[in-house]
Amino acid sequence: MGELELIGIAGLAVLFVLLALRMPVGLAMLVVGIGGTYILSLEASFIRFGPYMKQFKSLLWGNMANYDLSVIPLFVLMGFLASQANLSRDLFRGMAALMGRFRGGLAMSAIGACAGFGAVCGSSLATASTMGRVALPELDKLNYSPRLSTGALAAGGTLGILIPPSVALVIYAVIVEGSIIDMFRAAIIPGLIAVIFFIAVIAILVRINPSLAPTTQTMTREEKHEALLRLIPVIIIFGSIILGLGIGLFTPTPAAGVGVFAILVYGFGLRLFGKEGLSFNGVGTALMETAKTSGMIYFILFGAEVLKGFFTRANLPSTMSAWAGNSGLDPYMVLAIMLIIFVILGCFMDSLAMILVVVPFFWPVMVDLNGGDYATAASATFGMGAEDLKIWFGILTLIVVELGLITPPVGLNVFIINALAKNVPMMETFRGVLPFFGVEIIRVILLMAVPGIVMFLPRLLG
Amino acid sequence: MYSLLQRVVTLWALLGGLLAVIIVLVTAVNVGAFTLDFALKPLGIYVPALPGYEDFVRLAISAAALSFFPYTQLKKGHVAVDLFVQAFPNWLQKILDHLWQVLTAVVAAALAYYMWQGMLETRGDNTMTAVLGWQEWPWYFPGVVSMALWSLVALGQVLGGKSHG
Repeated sequence: MGELELIGIAGLAVLFVLLALRMPVGLAMLVVGIGGTYILSLEASFIRFGPYMKQFKSLLWGNMANYDLSVIPLFVLMGFLASQANLSRDLFRGMAALMGRFRGGLAMSAIGACAGFGAVCGSSLATASTMGRVALPELDKLNYSPRLSTGALAAGGTLGILIPPSVALVIYAVIVEGSIIDMFRAAIIPGLIAVIFFIAVIAILVRINPSLAPTTQTMTREEKHEALLRLIPVIIIFGSIILGLGIGLFTPTPAAGVGVFAILVYGFGLRLFGKEGLSFNGVGTALMETAKTSGMIYFILFGAEVLKGFFTRANLPSTMSAWAGNSGLDPYMVLAIMLIIFVILGCFMDSLAMILVVVPFFWPVMVDLNGGDYATAASATFGMGAEDLKIWFGILTLIVVELGLITPPVGLNVFIINALAKNVPMMETFRGVLPFFGVEIIRVILLMAVPGIVMFLPRLLG
Repeated sequence: MYSLLQRVVTLWALLGGLLAVIIVLVTAVNVGAFTLDFALKPLGIYVPALPGYEDFVRLAISAAALSFFPYTQLKKGHVAVDLFVQAFPNWLQKILDHLWQVLTAVVAAALAYYMWQGMLETRGDNTMTAVLGWQEWPWYFPGVVSMALWSLVALGQVLGGKSHG
């Protein structure tokens, strides 16, 4: 290992120290990226710091003026507007009208509503917090065990990161230079599998221990009718975004734009004809929340761009892929190790930051293990070409990143739900999450063993 | 003084948000045109989509995205790993937070300087968008303002300014 690689590794170590010292993630990436490049320039004469700094004249603006990334604030805005227009509540009540009569049906409804809201929101934390606020009081009213209700909601919240359209999918696709639409298509079936698995977990748990969900929900015919009626426009809005993206009617930015427009029209329409819906105050709140969240995401994206430049100059990604190639480990074992690293990092790191820091290292390793950029499906280790590998690895990565959100000791989703559920001990919520964690592991193994599940829709619709 | 800065930064972010709403409206018109074109094509009627739509989105989103940075700083929304520092004594946590705020102020000021230079250079090069043929350099200016505001907010936080609301 040469001097440059050692500086790169030291930079990585400094990054983790700064992160542990609560330096904002974007700032830490930026500081290590610039500082590291300065140190590299002292060692290697071909790296010149002066010209390097001049790129900042246009780098930040160029990063922001990116059409592909314009989808981020629009999806974020869509989620906040949906929340302000009470679409999350309509979704939950509609699902409850469909499934509430079964034992454990309200918890199952919460999972369905999380999946639906995740589709429009694209963020796991926002999904968990929004659906937690809507569903927890209802679950509490029916005396659901706090372990089941908080566990189901914390796990259900993770669906936001994978069910398309998702901000994390967009960012992953941008990093590996893959197709955003193919990523969206690929995420649909694994997302649905998660919904089915989570609902099955609830069904099994309440069958084994009926006291977890002692009563079923009873709705009058009128209440059910109204709940289903309010569900229809929500399904039309959310469904048309997913369907439009899936069949290639829209690209992501128009899809997000149309989604926001539809929610604005529907929300103001409701307001016009009734007491609820979207108010101008609500729109203002959604805009300010969008500004706060998007500013955070864009700063991390910019920091990651600068950091990536430093790591590339230090030859770290290529050194790492060479090491993995020469290690003699089975490629699937290397893949499993990488996924486990994601789960561990996910215990304390923000999911976007993790994707931005780690994927640029792991992706070249995957390409090398697979047989290089030009490997064909017949000759490749993983039985697929580089384009398909991007999609498959991306879906696996996002699932394990999700897992970090419900893994002790941090598990951000668990913290959010626990904060909403007053008087429920944290350990109780972590216990509630465990069965869902278990089926997530099964899902990862299933998708690793049968990549065709991930690749089915991209191949069918591509 | 800090509360005035707070109002300016909030208004600046709101303007960025409104720019995002304009993108939404332009997108709706563009998709509407596509849909009409698809529906009316069999009748021999062609409805053109908005020319230079992507150019517009690219420029507008650059201004919107950068306008959010100071507001995120104001609301302490730039994500950080909270796990380990929580165990430190309060005074040490405060020192660390102030240190990062000073660093943010310096970095943001440097970015404002570089963006200003970039704006002058882009103006000198007469860089234009591909389809609309709009000059790119004026779109750097909101970015310069955003970076300057970001630096001031971080500095204000170091000097004890608190965010309200």
